[in-house]
Amino acid sequence: MIAYTIYLPQIKGLLKHWANELNVYTPTRVDDGFYEFRPWNEQIEIAWDYDLCYTTLKRFILPPCEDIISFDMKRYTARPVIEAPKQLLFGVHPYDIKAINQLDQLMEMDSPDVNYQARRDNTLIFGLEPVHIADTAFWSSMDASSVDFGYDLYWTRISPGAFFVQVGSARGEEMLKADGHVEKSSVAQKEAARRVHLKVLARAGKQTLKYDWNKTPEMVNKFFNNQVFWRERSKTCLSCGSCVLVCPTCYCFEIQEEADDLLHKGRRYRQWDGCMLKGFAEIAGGHNFRDTAWERYRHRYMRKGKYIYDKLGELGCIGCGRCVKACTARIANPMKVYNEIWEAMKNET
Amino acid sequence: MKPDFSPYVPRPATLVAKKELNELVTLFEFVQDSGKPLAHRPGQFIQVSVYGVGEAPFSVSSPPRTDHNNFELAVRRIGSVTNSLHALEIGAKIGIRGPYGSYFPMQKFVGQDFLFVAGGLGYIPIRSVLHYMLRHRDEFGEITLLVGTRNPEERIFTDQLAEISKRNDVEVLETVDVPDDKWTGNVGVITTLFSKIRINPETTSVATIGPPVMYKFVIQECSKLGIPQNRIYVSLERRMKCGLGKCGHCQINGLNCCLDGPVFCYTDIAGLGEAL
Repeated sequence: MIAYTIYLPQIKGLLKHWANELNVYTPTRVDDGFYEFRPWNEQIEIAWDYDLCYTTLKRFILPPCEDIISFDMKRYTARPVIEAPKQLLFGVHPYDIKAINQLDQLMEMDSPDVNYQARRDNTLIFGLEPVHIADTAFWSSMDASSVDFGYDLYWTRISPGAFFVQVGSARGEEMLKADGHVEKSSVAQKEAARRVHLKVLARAGKQTLKYDWNKTPEMVNKFFNNQVFWRERSKTCLSCGSCVLVCPTCYCFEIQEEADDLLHKGRRYRQWDGCMLKGFAEIAGGHNFRDTAWERYRHRYMRKGKYIYDKLGELGCIGCGRCVKACTARIANPMKVYNEIWEAMKNET
Repeated sequence: MKPDFSPYVPRPATLVAKKELNELVTLFEFVQDSGKPLAHRPGQFIQVSVYGVGEAPFSVSSPPRTDHNNFELAVRRIGSVTNSLHALEIGAKIGIRGPYGSYFPMQKFVGQDFLFVAGGLGYIPIRSVLHYMLRHRDEFGEITLLVGTRNPEERIFTDQLAEISKRNDVEVLETVDVPDDKWTGNVGVITTLFSKIRINPETTSVATIGPPVMYKFVIQECSKLGIPQNRIYVSLERRMKCGLGKCGHCQINGLNCCLDGPVFCYTDIAGLGEAL
């Protein structure tokens, strides 16, 4: 493992270098207890100890709305539109890196998504060890408190003025050396980083699944036909889609298009969609394959708990707790739902 | 990967013929501007673009052919894309992507008897399989075709059905749910035809396509006849938007209907709560 120690005064110089080359986004406090990744500039104070950035990072790689083709209605031709600005996400927590790692695989499999991949190729990710944990988060029990890959650098604050920076890619190391000499880390500094990690793990243990996450797929599958449970839990669901909108692993989209006012040229774009919205599975003629809120509610937990697992071998929920905050009906908490299912099944066997 | 490649870019095709099948359904014949065959297999679908309006999935209704490169879509007027298609004149262009999805495993059916059960517009994709078999008639055993529609006005491909009925190597039975004054044929839902046919369950495979409500009942009837589940094939309709297994709209439990389907062997979906 290659690692360097970076001191706080060095960071501004590095950021200036990076910002010349690409769009840099850093966690920024936007309101009381409310953080977001925002474009970095010299006036911005980085929120090193943020607990959770409200909107997910998928928006940088799978934007809420993006053009995919442009077409010529007279000649009836079309060409691909693939935009991929160079960008750096600096300060990404491990659970969010895990979410991006999942999207990377899902977008690669079967038919590679060229728009996603182009953006991902031009995106650098600098991870950051969390120090605070959102009150709705439960990532420590979702196998998401650390990641082995998916970052170019991984930063751990080992003292008020120093970061232990682990190298994840050659490009990351190159970026770290952009502003001159950097110091190789000592064994003691590595140990300090390990302790920071253990400390946050200890605190993250408050809100967890009550069982090993591995059991989830089989469990929810057995619960699929338990209509009473799903109907009861979803009784107050507004089908607003907030939970899927803020989810870092949700990637469903809708494709639409728009022509210019002369009907000569147009653009076809995709924009985020959500399986919790009523019309999501509706087909021509009006038949809806998930017509009721409880069916859509169930689909979300099945998707997070089983369908993604069947594809990737890990849960589709990384425990960030964004949906818990976003849901106005207070029913979108995967930890709560999975724990309830576990409690119910525990007594069955 | 080439940066100028995107699976979302349609290829141009031109409308070469158009024939009204009933008040709402029209048969369209297209050819790709590249001159190449569509190279689809029976049961697959394509994404059709009308630029400025949108894109929608349609099953290919014609069988794969080697004698010419045209292909046919039968489309009911129901939404924005389908209404635009109906307004097209000969020579007009569309964009196409695909063919996508799974298909009927024709090789497996060689030497087998075959039962088609087509409800309503389900006849459109069935036709691709049926006409493939008729073109290679020697390779297959007894063929039985059950066709049901809600009422006589909604019948499609009536001329072709009349012709096929005349053949002595295909048994055709038709029914309507609600007859009109002129209708002299069978009346009742499609499953009422099962008592009128004689098939050998040991050697018969089934393809059934129709409205969502139909499948369960048809499969029940097939099971009653003793046809094993692994010889029953269905094609399911879902909202295929991207056709690439990404957008999530066509999911049936954990399956993507656009990749894993639309054609499924019944054994592959029998345990899925959202399939039928």
